[in-house]
Amino acid sequence: MIEVIHTGIHTSIQDLGRFGRQSLGIPIGGAMDQNAMKYANRLLNNPKHSAVLEMSFKGPKLLFHQSTTIALAGANMNTRLDGLPVQNLIAVNIKERGLLDFGNSFEGKRTYMAVAGGIQTPEILGSRSQYKGITDEGTISKLKLIPFNKVKFYSHKGARLGPPKTDSKKGIISVYKGPDFHLLPKKAQYQLQENSFIISIKNSRMAYILEEKVEHQIPSIWSAPVLPGTVQCTPDGTIIVLMRDAQTTGGYPRVLQVSDEGLNLLAQKSTKDCFQFQFRAV
Amino acid sequence: MNNILTYRFFVTHPKIVILEWNHEPDNALLHKLIKFQKAILKEIKEVIQITQGFCSLMLYHDSPLQNIKDYKSRLCLIYNSIPSSPNKKGKHWQIPVCYEETYAPDLKLLATQIDMNPETLVEKHVSTSYKVCFIGFLPGFLYLSGLPKVLEFRRKEQPVNNVPYGSIGIGGRQTGIYTLDSPGGWYIIGKTPYSFFDPHNRKPCFAQAGDSLVFKSISIAEYLNLEAKHKKGTLKIKSL
Repeated sequence: MIEVIHTGIHTSIQDLGRFGRQSLGIPIGGAMDQNAMKYANRLLNNPKHSAVLEMSFKGPKLLFHQSTTIALAGANMNTRLDGLPVQNLIAVNIKERGLLDFGNSFEGKRTYMAVAGGIQTPEILGSRSQYKGITDEGTISKLKLIPFNKVKFYSHKGARLGPPKTDSKKGIISVYKGPDFHLLPKKAQYQLQENSFIISIKNSRMAYILEEKVEHQIPSIWSAPVLPGTVQCTPDGTIIVLMRDAQTTGGYPRVLQVSDEGLNLLAQKSTKDCFQFQFRAV
Repeated sequence: MNNILTYRFFVTHPKIVILEWNHEPDNALLHKLIKFQKAILKEIKEVIQITQGFCSLMLYHDSPLQNIKDYKSRLCLIYNSIPSSPNKKGKHWQIPVCYEETYAPDLKLLATQIDMNPETLVEKHVSTSYKVCFIGFLPGFLYLSGLPKVLEFRRKEQPVNNVPYGSIGIGGRQTGIYTLDSPGGWYIIGKTPYSFFDPHNRKPCFAQAGDSLVFKSISIAEYLNLEAKHKKGTLKIKSL
């Protein structure tokens, strides 16, 4: 068990999400930066869908009731184990009563902690990803215990992983055109292709709202399916990028669709971060 | 049923195809969408999931589409061979709703806005059969068609922070049931003790696209009685 001493700002249990039930209105969810999440699991030879801890902006303080091995990937959080610094991207042994303390994020916003054997909270509708209403809580909470299996971890001798592909500093997000892109006036189409955009303070696992607007007169549409990465444009021109916990249908025009890599990159960005869309053909 | 309803084919991601009908949603289109989905899932094994909107479908594929032209014609062939026989009749549900003020914070306000007394509003709301078009927005949230025109009214300017689950709302051209506590901009005119989404059930939603439902007005006493049964887990929902 892992005891939560402090929760951090937004820490939740995530795997690759609940794919396959969107026709019941169930969001896909899952780790925001799936590259980093899979990488942390690979470092421990875990299956890639094993549940991990996703920590955003400022991480938690955790007390390990049993010894285990963990690996961190994604943003750096000045992590300390019993007071000593811990690096990302390597397997780290933790002794019984080990105290792991995460600080503020830099070089990205979200850090992933994989545990040997994976976190073992109950699966609900095929996934351990926390989402309020499906799981009891949307985040981990103080003094709660997070279960994991006691699995002995054997590192591959001499085996090394290349560095993760994700570069959080990169400000280029590749996108495809959405089904309503052609309805935008030429000027708005140009703005989306050429301008830089800043993520507003309204950003969460559900959606990022951007600070800049684009002018258009597209009316609302009949509610239609959307998915993580769908970029919507509201009647007043506000741009909304749907993230992993996105609802399954929406009534705003869908102007872009973020690529899989783009979505992982966006997961490492937050308030005031700037980026540009790069158009790609499907 | 005719086959004249044509759709637009749009690839928005290497694994995602959107099909859209430039048509007002109606029962004929709904039946077409339901049948087409079934046929696609049966015939094209690369399609691992389909989600539905009022006039659109989203097809998820297990790997990036290779030959889009071929794929498009395969779909077209399936579409044109959908049998014109009527759909299997959907289930019909009766949903008990308490329209008393305790559970209907916005009933009077909405009644005033549409110039109707609250009793007439309720009368109109319960005398219609609604069609389940699809599920979306929130887990288990049913998009219903059939709201009488006289009850249509634009959403609130400012959404309310916490609408309790089970609340029945009217917003724009729609009426619906909040399935989870959530923020919402609809006028709340009643509440049902039934749960429309149970994550611990193997079948988390009892209704599906193509079903229909009616609301039945119940008293506070009946509501409390059903709610107590629901909490004990003994409230079973049966279709009519």
